[in-house]
Amino acid sequence: MKTIAVLIVAASIAPAQWLDFPTPGVPRLADGKPNLTAPAPKTADGKPDLSGIWVTKAGYTGNIARDLKPGELSFQPWASEVYKHRQETQGKDDPQAYCVLSGVPREHVVPYPFKILNTNGMIVILYEALHSYRQIYMDGRKLPKDPNPTWMGYSIGRWEGDTLVVDSAGFVDNNWLDNGGHMGTEAMKLTERFHRRDYGHIDLQITVDDPKAYTKPWTVKLEFTATPDTDLIEYVCDENEKDLVHLVGR
Amino acid sequence: MRVHVRLFAASVLALCVPASAQWLKYKTPGIPRTADGRPELTAAAPKTADGKPDLSGIWRGDPGGYGVNVAADLKPSEIQPWAEKLYKQRLEDMGKDSPSYRCLPGIGPYVIFGMFKILQTPNAMGFLSEFNGSRQVLTDGRPLPEDPNPTWQGYSVGHWEGDTFVVESAGFNDQTWLDIGHPHSEELRVTERFHRKDFGHMDVKMTFSDPKIYARPFSIDVELELVPDTELLEYVCNENEQSLKHFVITEEDRKQSRTNVKVAPEILSKYAGVYEMQNPEDPKGKPISIWILTEGDQLLTQMNGAGPKIPLAAQSATVFSLLGGTVIFATDDKGAVTHFTMQAVEGDFKVPRKGDLPK
Repeated sequence: MKTIAVLIVAASIAPAQWLDFPTPGVPRLADGKPNLTAPAPKTADGKPDLSGIWVTKAGYTGNIARDLKPGELSFQPWASEVYKHRQETQGKDDPQAYCVLSGVPREHVVPYPFKILNTNGMIVILYEALHSYRQIYMDGRKLPKDPNPTWMGYSIGRWEGDTLVVDSAGFVDNNWLDNGGHMGTEAMKLTERFHRRDYGHIDLQITVDDPKAYTKPWTVKLEFTATPDTDLIEYVCDENEKDLVHLVGR
Repeated sequence: MRVHVRLFAASVLALCVPASAQWLKYKTPGIPRTADGRPELTAAAPKTADGKPDLSGIWRGDPGGYGVNVAADLKPSEIQPWAEKLYKQRLEDMGKDSPSYRCLPGIGPYVIFGMFKILQTPNAMGFLSEFNGSRQVLTDGRPLPEDPNPTWQGYSVGHWEGDTFVVESAGFNDQTWLDIGHPHSEELRVTERFHRKDFGHMDVKMTFSDPKIYARPFSIDVELELVPDTELLEYVCNENEQSLKHFVITEEDRKQSRTNVKVAPEILSKYAGVYEMQNPEDPKGKPISIWILTEGDQLLTQMNGAGPKIPLAAQSATVFSLLGGTVIFATDDKGAVTHFTMQAVEGDFKVPRKGDLPK
């Protein structure tokens, strides 16, 4: 999977000047290259500015929990069966194969770039994958109590010092958290802690609290790298779709 | 593109957005309000810190009749004959090949048809759409690409001309439909001019230029209304998709279709008149005036006697179809036309005839 992902990313880089345009406002080294270890920028209100185009550290696409020690992630019995089935059938029931949204947090383990926009009262993430987006409300509202379940969920954010803490709920019941099939249910609550440690890096800690699927909450760490001087490209899942007939699993 | 399935009734019915709990009723912060808490939509347009108008907010736009015929203001001679023929063919096929039915996106500028949100940030104007994903208008100074990889949404850059935000787009593929059937080429360019008149209203002039197909550029005016105190809903086109298998029009069906149904002009002329439809979402509001007209052996409909005329295709002497619905005329025992019934996905609506067309 990792090899395929790398190939796909490499293949997607093509058309000329649009994607090579130097991003304004990026700190640069003497040779003009972006200085990714420069200090993290701030917004006018003094908070860290997470804006930019980011790519997640490779290696977690198939298994978001790959760094966990045995026992740290503990399935409920039924969920263990479902996970086993998804593994054995090579993900043939993966909603993403049907061009349904990847959802959260899976968007942060797939190898497609995303852009964070910092705007009045909210932080918005535009994902290249499946042309989707996610809104994180910073206006002080509470999470909905009985939400209509969605793939992207509902997210509210707040600052704890220099860390953006995002609480999310209201997810669909058949969520896939990675390509390997770790599930999320309607009971899932996520806590994400985004920390931009310098210009070029965001550390993300995700805690999955889904008592329906797991016997206890579990926490993983991911890392994003800034990719200035480029842009997202169009991703249209339904275009020239030929894969579905081949997804036969077992 | 949802707009493809819009017709005069659908544009009324499309306002039915499923309600769900407090998330959607949360009061949008920063909106000027009257003493009783209602949004004051005629207050002055807000500005960003750099003094430019702030276009942020949730908006709703509707192309009106142009959603059915974007080139309505062009003469037939100004459209390449093959393109006009293709438009008619797609109309007769009920849009069965429409990319929107395959969950493919429309051109970027079309995110303004429906509910969408504008995010104004330093290097990009972001547009979040319910049905068309997201769209970026880059404002970081880059030019449009000269020889881009064609895309569905195209590439968009924006700049300010006084208080007007001007967006130029190019680099489209030639697969999308500009309405319910007008094609475009890869040479299509679209210019949009956004002008926020006051807090609650924004004018957009959208100009299309595609000299390969259309002899001159043409424009449509779209009025956007701010939609306060709500939110976008998640729209996943591919979820629970059940429609595609029903789009089964074959060559055989086509032969039997309305192309071969001819209704005598004297019958058609009986249907001409002014009809009034009550918006089911607003039962006490002013009814919508729908005109039925004839041109030769073609029956047409027009909203309020203005804007583009939309052809109605005869299925029989009394049954006519247009995208997304069927119109059935009814007469009294003396043969006088009393009303038509509009059959749409949302239900059947009786639309009484109110009188003759104005001279």
